[in-house]
Amino acid sequence: MKLFIKFDINTICSLYLKQNLEQQNINFTSLGFGEIEIADNLDADALETLKNNLSPCGFEIVENQKSVLVQKIKDAIIELVFMDDSNNYKSSVFLAEKLNHSYGYLSNVFSEVTYSSIENFIILQKIERAKQLIIINEMSLTEIAFLLNYSSVAHLSTQFKNTTGITPSAFQRIIKKRRENLK
Amino acid sequence: MQKNALYILLADDDEDDRLFFKDAFEEIKIQTNVDFVHDGMQLMDHLLNPDNKLPDILFLDLNMPKKTGKECLIEIKKTERLKNIIIAIYSTSSSEEDIEDTFIQGANIYIKKPSDFNTLKKIINEVVTVNWHYHTSGLNRDNFLLRLK
Amino acid sequence: MKWIPNFNSSNSLRVIFVIAVFILLFLSSIAYKHNQDLNESSKLVMHTYEINIQLERLMSAIKDAETGQRGYIITRNARFLTPYIYSRDKVNTSFITLKKLTADNPVQQRNLQNLFKLIIQRFVSFENCLKYSDPKTYDKRKLDNHMFGGRILMENIRFKVDEMNDIEKDYLSKRLKIYAAEISLSPLFSVSLFLVALCFILLAYRQISRDFERLKVFNKRLLISNGLIAESEVIGKFSTWQWDLDSQKIDYSDNQFRLLGYEPNAFVPVKETFLDFVHPDDKETVSKSMEGILNKKQLPFVYYKIMLPSHEVRYFKSTGKLLTDQQGSKILLGINFDITDEHLLNIELQERNKELEKSNKELASFNHVASHDLQEPLRKIQTFISRVSDADKAVMSQSARDYIAKIEVSAKRMRVLIDDLLLFSRTNTTKKEFIKSNLNELLENAEAELTEIIDEKKAIITAAKLPKLSVIPYQIEQLFINLIGNSLKYSQPNITPEISIESEKVLSADYPDLLEQDVKKFHKITFTDNGMGFDPQFKETIFVLFQRLHSKTDYPGTGIGLAICKKIADNHKGHIIADSILNKGSVFTVFLPD
Repeated sequence: MKLFIKFDINTICSLYLKQNLEQQNINFTSLGFGEIEIADNLDADALETLKNNLSPCGFEIVENQKSVLVQKIKDAIIELVFMDDSNNYKSSVFLAEKLNHSYGYLSNVFSEVTYSSIENFIILQKIERAKQLIIINEMSLTEIAFLLNYSSVAHLSTQFKNTTGITPSAFQRIIKKRRENLK
Repeated sequence: MQKNALYILLADDDEDDRLFFKDAFEEIKIQTNVDFVHDGMQLMDHLLNPDNKLPDILFLDLNMPKKTGKECLIEIKKTERLKNIIIAIYSTSSSEEDIEDTFIQGANIYIKKPSDFNTLKKIINEVVTVNWHYHTSGLNRDNFLLRLK
Repeated sequence: MKWIPNFNSSNSLRVIFVIAVFILLFLSSIAYKHNQDLNESSKLVMHTYEINIQLERLMSAIKDAETGQRGYIITRNARFLTPYIYSRDKVNTSFITLKKLTADNPVQQRNLQNLFKLIIQRFVSFENCLKYSDPKTYDKRKLDNHMFGGRILMENIRFKVDEMNDIEKDYLSKRLKIYAAEISLSPLFSVSLFLVALCFILLAYRQISRDFERLKVFNKRLLISNGLIAESEVIGKFSTWQWDLDSQKIDYSDNQFRLLGYEPNAFVPVKETFLDFVHPDDKETVSKSMEGILNKKQLPFVYYKIMLPSHEVRYFKSTGKLLTDQQGSKILLGINFDITDEHLLNIELQERNKELEKSNKELASFNHVASHDLQEPLRKIQTFISRVSDADKAVMSQSARDYIAKIEVSAKRMRVLIDDLLLFSRTNTTKKEFIKSNLNELLENAEAELTEIIDEKKAIITAAKLPKLSVIPYQIEQLFINLIGNSLKYSQPNITPEISIESEKVLSADYPDLLEQDVKKFHKITFTDNGMGFDPQFKETIFVLFQRLHSKTDYPGTGIGLAICKKIADNHKGHIIADSILNKGSVFTVFLPD
């Protein structure tokens, strides 16, 4: 039996974070986008414990302001890409409005911290979504291309190939065989 | 960007390749620690030793003495503690069969060893960046397939 | 079977013989009857004469009596009375005899009765005469009367006797007449019957001798065909045997003996004989399959070894069938083939196959050597050259810089050559998995592969709707890459490269020289470009490995790309052709089976 599970990373992460913080009896309020405000100042030991508790799931406490902003940009991009009506937005406008900074600034900070561009990250995320949709196998490439705001299937295929080095059909084939192989 | 340098492990029996690899990592911006093993046996010994830190990315040559890269790949994917390591195949072979086969066996990245140092740097940079994105941006590692020429 | 003669004559022969036998029987019965008749008639004659004699005897007895009496009367001598006294007995005796003789004839019986009465009267008259002649009682008148009466009675008796004789004679002559008639008919009849019988027998003889001739001919033919069968067994190295399950008699054909290393009929085979020849390894299998025949009535081919008396091992293949003939007896028919030669040939073939496999493996490992080991040092040469930084070059002499540049170019060329060679050999060796694929998708993949050069040359590629075909996807993709890449490489400077790809369905019958006629429909996919084209005289040669139309300095290339295209088309049982007008453009046409 095969089940495809759609999940919302943000919800899971918020929940996980909440559980961890509550476990340590830390009084906090969530500001969204992975930003939390803690009522009391934590001592170094408590901070270390929190760090250790969160790290197994890849959670990291971002200490640098720019890094915080990059994380916000990333979260915003993910939100945009995984929105079903993302076609209505131009990403630069969306980011600028969402994060209250000029797009140029955001772009610079992002490149500085990650050594890659916002555009690349958007492509990466779009391809990531395309991968999920391909695996779920409910949509044709044409539909996926439309949903992800590509001008044509060819455009999607090309970008997929450029990003991953393999074609969408090869990707689909490999993942299918890999799953059979695991059985 | 991150406090701890990225830990890279390369399994390759070719001394020159290890040299190129080391130089390339030194020249990219991202901070890394690079370690080497010389064959498949050594690799498995290293990975299976619980005292050793697991690499963030394992670069694996296919054609190695004692134990081939493909054998190591299969063994790693069968070992619970090791199966989540990001594996980049690093090989001379550009055979479609090798590529598809290693992907199916669970490799994430397939790199054909470039014949140009700048290309190597570019490739390594890309691998590290994409890997980092996967690491930090909630991307599904199961879908992480990347082929670089 | 046609050659069995049709001896229908045996039936007619049988009929003829039966008729002849009947005729002979008939004839002999007739002869017998004649004999009987003759016998009868002689008996009749005898009978008549006997009656005659008896009647005469009767008469004479009476006459004797009369004479005796007369003498007595005259002489009175008692001696004369003696015949008279005896005559009475004689008359009685004759009379009894006559009565017996005429038992079958009522008329004569009646006559005899009358005669008897007359005779009695005569004797009464005798008594009276004696009485009246006796001197004691003499009466002349009465004596005369009686004497006279006797005389008349005598006359009557005579008359009666004559009458009876006449009747007998009449009878006799009548019967003799009938017999004479019968006997006078039979000789003719007998002779003609005899002739008919003779005819029949002659006819039968003729038929028999004719059949005999035919029999001889067929016998000869049978001998020839028997000989031929025996000969063909020898030539074809096979033999037959029959095993009569009821009588447990086993017959080997001559060649069976020979195949087993003996002269024909060198021994009398029994059930176990054959197994003695079978190689110990195969004994069990063969005896099992023999059992199997009895149950299944048929034997699939069994393969086994035979050990000849000379210890030579031969390879046999056998089959058999259980037959039931018209009489209902079961016969096992077996055929053995000596397949030693084929077997040895097979072994040789297998060995050659192994060698071929080995050399294929060697080829594959050569492939590996080329793909890995040969590339390895080349890659390092290239990488090391790339590590010579500009700063390093700055301190070199001009000639050293030139050498480095030339090494770089040569290494690059070698890389292209190795890659192309690998690609070419891979189109041969890798597994050919046909998958139903949309050619438009494959074309998109190809275009994605070529994005860089397409963008660089700003080429315009227009493609019609391509079919979905069962193909080896990556090979068709490679074909598209090579053809489009070729067009882009040989585009005309200062003209935007345009490539149009079209597809139509065609019948193989329309291209009898190009296409395999077994497949009815093909898809004809054309790649038309506006490039520099080539001299049409080279349209065949450009598909040959390492054939190049341009110098390698003008256009880098290995002369492998189009050879790969041809190989791919061949792998798909398709075809590829090219045509061109120099400086106008080229058309590459690929035919792929539907």
